[in-house]
Amino acid sequence: MPAPRHAIDWEAASLRIVFVTMTVFAMVFLIAPTVIVLITSLTASESLKFPPPGLSLRWYYALLDADQMQRAAWNSLVIAVWTTVISVVLGTAASIAIARGRSKWIKACDLLFMSPLLLPALAFGFAALVYINKLGLSPSVPLLVLGHVIVCVPFILRTTVAALSQLDSALLDASHSLGGSQWMTFRRITLPLIAPGLGSGAFLAFMASFDNVPVSLFLADERNEVLPIHLWQQIDTNLDVRTAAASGLIVIFTLALMLIAERLAGFTRQMR
Amino acid sequence: MNLSDIKLVLPLTALFAVFFIAPLCVLIIMSLSTDAEMHAFTAAHYVKFFGDAFNYSILWSTIWLGVKATLVCLLFGYPIAWIAARAKARWQSVLLFLVILPIMTSVVVRTFSWIVILGRQGVLNQIVLGLGLTDEPLRLLFTETGVIMVLAQVQMPLMVLPILTVMSKTDPNLADASRALGAGEWRTLWKVTLPLSLPGIIAGCVLTYSACVTAFVTQTLIGGARLVYMPLHIYQQAVGANNWPFAAAISVVFMVAVLIIVGVLGALGRKSETYARP
Amino acid sequence: MIDRISRRELLSAGAALSAAALLPTSASAQGKQLVAATFPGTWNEAHRQYLAPAFTKRTGASVTQSILLGNDQLSRLTAAKGGKPPFDVALFDRPQVLDAAKQGLIVEYPAAKSANYKDVLPEFQDKWGPCISMQIIGIGYNPKKIKTPPTSWDALWDPQFKGRIGLTALNSQLGIAFLAEINRLRGGNEENFEPAFKALKELLPNVGAIGANLGAYATLWQQEQVDIAPYNFNFVQTLKGKDVPVELSIPSTGPVGWTTSMHLVANAAEPDLAVQYIDTHLDQAVQSAMLKPPYDVIPTNSKVQLEGAITTSIATSHADLAKVRSFDWEKLNPQRGALIERFNRDIKM
Repeated sequence: MPAPRHAIDWEAASLRIVFVTMTVFAMVFLIAPTVIVLITSLTASESLKFPPPGLSLRWYYALLDADQMQRAAWNSLVIAVWTTVISVVLGTAASIAIARGRSKWIKACDLLFMSPLLLPALAFGFAALVYINKLGLSPSVPLLVLGHVIVCVPFILRTTVAALSQLDSALLDASHSLGGSQWMTFRRITLPLIAPGLGSGAFLAFMASFDNVPVSLFLADERNEVLPIHLWQQIDTNLDVRTAAASGLIVIFTLALMLIAERLAGFTRQMR
Repeated sequence: MNLSDIKLVLPLTALFAVFFIAPLCVLIIMSLSTDAEMHAFTAAHYVKFFGDAFNYSILWSTIWLGVKATLVCLLFGYPIAWIAARAKARWQSVLLFLVILPIMTSVVVRTFSWIVILGRQGVLNQIVLGLGLTDEPLRLLFTETGVIMVLAQVQMPLMVLPILTVMSKTDPNLADASRALGAGEWRTLWKVTLPLSLPGIIAGCVLTYSACVTAFVTQTLIGGARLVYMPLHIYQQAVGANNWPFAAAISVVFMVAVLIIVGVLGALGRKSETYARP
Repeated sequence: MIDRISRRELLSAGAALSAAALLPTSASAQGKQLVAATFPGTWNEAHRQYLAPAFTKRTGASVTQSILLGNDQLSRLTAAKGGKPPFDVALFDRPQVLDAAKQGLIVEYPAAKSANYKDVLPEFQDKWGPCISMQIIGIGYNPKKIKTPPTSWDALWDPQFKGRIGLTALNSQLGIAFLAEINRLRGGNEENFEPAFKALKELLPNVGAIGANLGAYATLWQQEQVDIAPYNFNFVQTLKGKDVPVELSIPSTGPVGWTTSMHLVANAAEPDLAVQYIDTHLDQAVQSAMLKPPYDVIPTNSKVQLEGAITTSIATSHADLAKVRSFDWEKLNPQRGALIERFNRDIKM
């Protein structure tokens, strides 16, 4: 039956061609802006024209003098570390209960913990500011960290619960029947097995905190500036090429962290 | 629910109660107050919001913006997921890495690159004019089309990942059977693959829609402050005009609107999962 | 290379960095910090390049800039009234000074603690805070597209510029001053703005873009989306320094401007540092440095001679500066909110 087979082959190829073309176009669309900002940051001129008239590292050197930007970057880093640590501790404990529990209370808690992902974070940020103000407090780093924990812990919950649900409960039973305590079972058996999932979630939470704008907009004041807001202020107020250099650094930093996460935890596998 | 479960979930629940639920309650009370000191109560702010066409149109254009951006993400995200699901393991990792990388990069950085690209002298116009596709440079910066384009790039990974997850778990025999029975590729796509991946599509749409509608940075940097959507409106009223009660009312309206849409989509998603069950 | 670095080493390096980040950083470990407000554009760049280093050299403290328009500074200070203000030094245009003083947001300037104050020209001294410069507006134009500099504001209404005009929103002083000047030229005054809005409505067909803020406005110029528009003298000079094709022309009706001054905010966290900061801006060396391109900041210290673009376009001597026309801000201020609202509703593309 050569004729029908020809027709089917051509038809199959057409679907593949269309999808591959769209995918290539979409991937270029996804990656090109990041590449363009990297190239623009290497410009030798004072303006943001692309393609740059000449290449130079001068704007990266200029970052060495950008005191305020460095302070903002350090603040963001410290806050992200605190947020991740607190989220991992509280989130892992909650994940264990969620992965195990079948009661409707646990399910309700699960929904509650995931809701910051769906609600407008800006509304939450503003609500937090009003709340703090009514309590007689003013924005500070600890409160900002708490705000970040709320919006970042869902990432940890999602990957850790997924990892826990793939655990063979027979392993845990075996550990208990051999006399292991809850804590020891957790430390020696559970934790190593869920480490890739937990690590991926922690990485997501860290980046979410480092890049966070909506909550920081309200809870970070001028004395505790964070990097994304500082960069935004720069973009909004002048056409400084230093912003491009800072962006370039952030891209490289993110890329490096992602490669490490991929190597240590098989990050992309966890995302499926 | 046993004691050890309660002990495990208690700390996070306590934090959420104190720092998530309580602030939201205070926000609702603030939205019903006459002034920031919350001396007396009134529904005037809600009346003002729904009464004034200006405010109402902001809500509507935000909802509509989310729909358009989500559709663009779906149009291009589905093929990516389709290709990735059928790729060999190594290529799949690479593809996923490239898809996830944008979403891990700071949203301010990504939006900034678009400002460089979309301007009158930007890369896009250079290409489009150079290829002779149009005579006049395209005006994309500070327009809704520009916002949709950038939102699509920034949020597309949120659409791709859930679809890919569902596709990876789908039994490939089903598609094979369809082909063995004589259906062409396009028909198989339409009748078998798409319905089976529907839960993933809907999950992707929920995440993408929610993200697009609340994407403050992208909407404001690309739209310019003349194109006002709900997030900027809240910010302008809260910080610019210092009108906390009104800003709170807008926030509550916005949250409820997003919750309704997400709830409807979520219900659709649960229904669609029945397609895959034998 | 990743292969050779073992997993263990990576993890311990990460743990060490995290431990460093978790150590509490006290204010004393970092040195003192002053938060000062500044305007977007020329101002924050000039302050970052010249004022901040001079201040740090003098006091050893670091400066964090809070970049806000004058009106936004006013709202932030009003919101924080009674408590700790978000910044200790305010940078205001003349109109905002009157509002701030009335509301008790700023305190009288302690001239006795400020060594350079006596060198400031008499017309720029003020009990609420010294003027650190003047801002002048004129007609900005793209010299590549428009060969002869426009000599009158009416040029903006010329039909040949259809779709090529830029406007800026009224949240910046540039917008308000432009509106007030058009108003004056068309027969209105500080109580009657009908002529101005009538003129703007007629201008609409020519308008190509309305910049929501000064950053967006600068982007429009850089992307050559507008060819002619009202603009500040200083911003034009700074953009020129960034290879943006723009020049400023002062219309034959004369330069219009206002003074810009720095103030000590009430309840400041670091009041002494704040006064030192303002005093540094009055310093002869600092003002001479800022006078140079690309900032061309008009100096107020009597010991600094005018030079460069200022002398060719605006004034050749300090006496000329005193003659630059301004408006009756006392009468104009109360209407600002209404003007902004009307502009946002009526003047739309």
